[in-house]
Amino acid sequence: MSAFAPLLGKEVRALFQSPVAYIVIGVFLALMGYSFTLTLFNNKYATLIHIFFQSAGLLLLIVPVITMRLFAEERKAGTLELLLTAPVRESHLVVAKYLASMAVLGAMIGLTGTYALVLGVFGSPDWGTIYSGYLGLLLLASTLVAIGLAVSALTSNQVIAAIVTIGVLFSMWMIDTLAAMAPDALGRVLISFSLLARFTPFAAGAMYLSDFGFFLSTTLLALFLAMRALSRR
Amino acid sequence: MTPSVVVADSLVKFYGKRLAVDRVSFDVRPNEVMGLLGPNGSGKSTILRILTGYLHPTSGTAKIGGWDVVASSREARGQLGYVPEDVPLYAGMRVAEFLEFMARVRGVQAPRLASAVDEAVERLSLGRVRTLLIAKLSRGYRQRVAIAQALLGRPKLLVLDEPTNGLDPRQIIEVRELIRALSRELSVLVTSHILAEIERVAHRAAILLDGKLLSIEPLGGGGRAARLRMHLRVAPDRGDAAQQVAAALRKAGAELVESRDDGAWLIDSAEGAAPAVQALVAAGIGVDEVTPAASGLEELFLRLTEGAHR
Repeated sequence: MSAFAPLLGKEVRALFQSPVAYIVIGVFLALMGYSFTLTLFNNKYATLIHIFFQSAGLLLLIVPVITMRLFAEERKAGTLELLLTAPVRESHLVVAKYLASMAVLGAMIGLTGTYALVLGVFGSPDWGTIYSGYLGLLLLASTLVAIGLAVSALTSNQVIAAIVTIGVLFSMWMIDTLAAMAPDALGRVLISFSLLARFTPFAAGAMYLSDFGFFLSTTLLALFLAMRALSRR
Repeated sequence: MTPSVVVADSLVKFYGKRLAVDRVSFDVRPNEVMGLLGPNGSGKSTILRILTGYLHPTSGTAKIGGWDVVASSREARGQLGYVPEDVPLYAGMRVAEFLEFMARVRGVQAPRLASAVDEAVERLSLGRVRTLLIAKLSRGYRQRVAIAQALLGRPKLLVLDEPTNGLDPRQIIEVRELIRALSRELSVLVTSHILAEIERVAHRAAILLDGKLLSIEPLGGGGRAARLRMHLRVAPDRGDAAQQVAAALRKAGAELVESRDDGAWLIDSAEGAAPAVQALVAAGIGVDEVTPAASGLEELFLRLTEGAHR
C-alpha cells in the first residue's frame, strides 16, 4: 500500500495544478448555472431533474477531456516506463488516476449542490429525488472515468484517446435507440447497456439495485481492462 | 562464490514477427560494471526493458537479485534503479519534490525519506537546483536527476541506457566517474553504442549485433580504463630507434606494442600520452605526432561484427 499514497498525491496535484480542471469546472458551472436560473424563473418548479440530465450530457464531453491525458501523456513522455519499472502495482497506478479524476468531477458536481440549497431556501423541493439524482451523476461519472482510463491506457496519443472515449461513451449513452429497431430479446440486452436508460431512474428519483450493479460492475470491468492494458508488455 | 545480481538465460523477444533479441544469456556479478555494446537496433534497450520488467520476454528467463522478472516482477523491480535512454522526468515537478515522490514509490518510508533525498541530492551535486522546476534544467542536470532517482531505495543494480547521450565532454567524464564510484557499492549494467565509453567504465562487455550476443569480453574496468593505446611518430627515424624507444617507454610505464610499416610505433601507456612523450624527449627522441589508436575492444568489435555480417 506504501506506493499508493504518493501516486494518488501526484495525480491529485497534477490535476488541480493544471488549468484544465479549473477551466472544465468553470465552464460546467457557468452552463449549468445559466440553465438552472433560466428554468427556475420560467417554470417556478423546485426541481433539479433538468440539471441532472444536462449534467449527464455534459459529462460525456467533459470526462474524455480529463481522462485523455492520464496514461497517454505518461506513455508519450516516457514517465510510464519510469513508474512501471519501479516496484509499484499496476492496480495502484490505475486506481490513483481514477480517484484523482473522481475528485475533480466530485468537486464539480458537488458545487452544483448550491442550486439545491437555493431551492431549499426559497421552496420545498423533493429531497429524495435530489439525493438520488446526485448519486446517479456520481455513479455515471465513475463509469465514464473508468472507460476513459481504459482507452487512455491503450494509446500514447491524447487526441485519439479523447475521440475514441467520446465515441464509446456516446454509443453507450444512445444504444437504447437501437433497441427499438432490434428484436425483443436483443432489444432488452441493448437497453441493459444503455447509460441513459440506467441513469434516467436516478434522475427521476427511483433507485434500482440493478442500475447500481450496472454502474459498479462497468466501472470495475473498465478499471480491470485499464490494468490489463498496462500489463500488456 | 557470491551469486550474480543479474542472470539472463536465453532471452528471446519478438516484436510482432521481428526478432529483436535472440537467445541472449549473460550475468552481472556483484560490484561489476557490465557494458552492453552494440550498434543502434542491436537489442540493447530491449534487453534492459526486459530486465527492468517493462517488457516481458517472448521466452527465456531473467533474475534480478534472485527474483524472476516475470513471476516476481515487483520484487525484481525493487532490486534495481533504472535510467531510460530518453531520461523521462515529470517536467512540472521540482527536483526535490520529484526525488521525494520517487523515493516513496520505491518504498522509502517517512523517517528515512528526507535523508534519502538529501543523500541523492548531495551525491549527484543537485543542491543548486533542488528547488527548480525540472522543465528548467539542462540536459546534464536532467541526467543527474534521473540517476539520483534510480539510486533511491539503495538498489543492488543500477541500469543505465546510453547514459552519456547528449552530454557535453565534461558531463560525460562526470558520468563516467560516477559509474566507477557507484560500482564500489552496487552492480551497474550500462549500454552504449560508443566503444570507448564501455571500455573506459566496464569490467566486462557483452557485444551485441542484430539481437544476438556475439561475445562477452573482460575489460578490467577502471584499471584498464586509464590505459591508452596510441600511434607515435618519432623523428628522425633512426636505425636503432626501436630499442631506444622501447627503453624510454619502459621508464614511463608504457610499452611498445608494434612497429608499423608507415613508420609509426603503436604503444600502450598506463598513464596516458604525456609521460611517454616526456620520456622519449628526455632520451633525445623527438616526437612528431601522437594519435589515439584503435583499442583492443574496437578491433575485436569490428572483427566480430564483420564475421557476423559475412
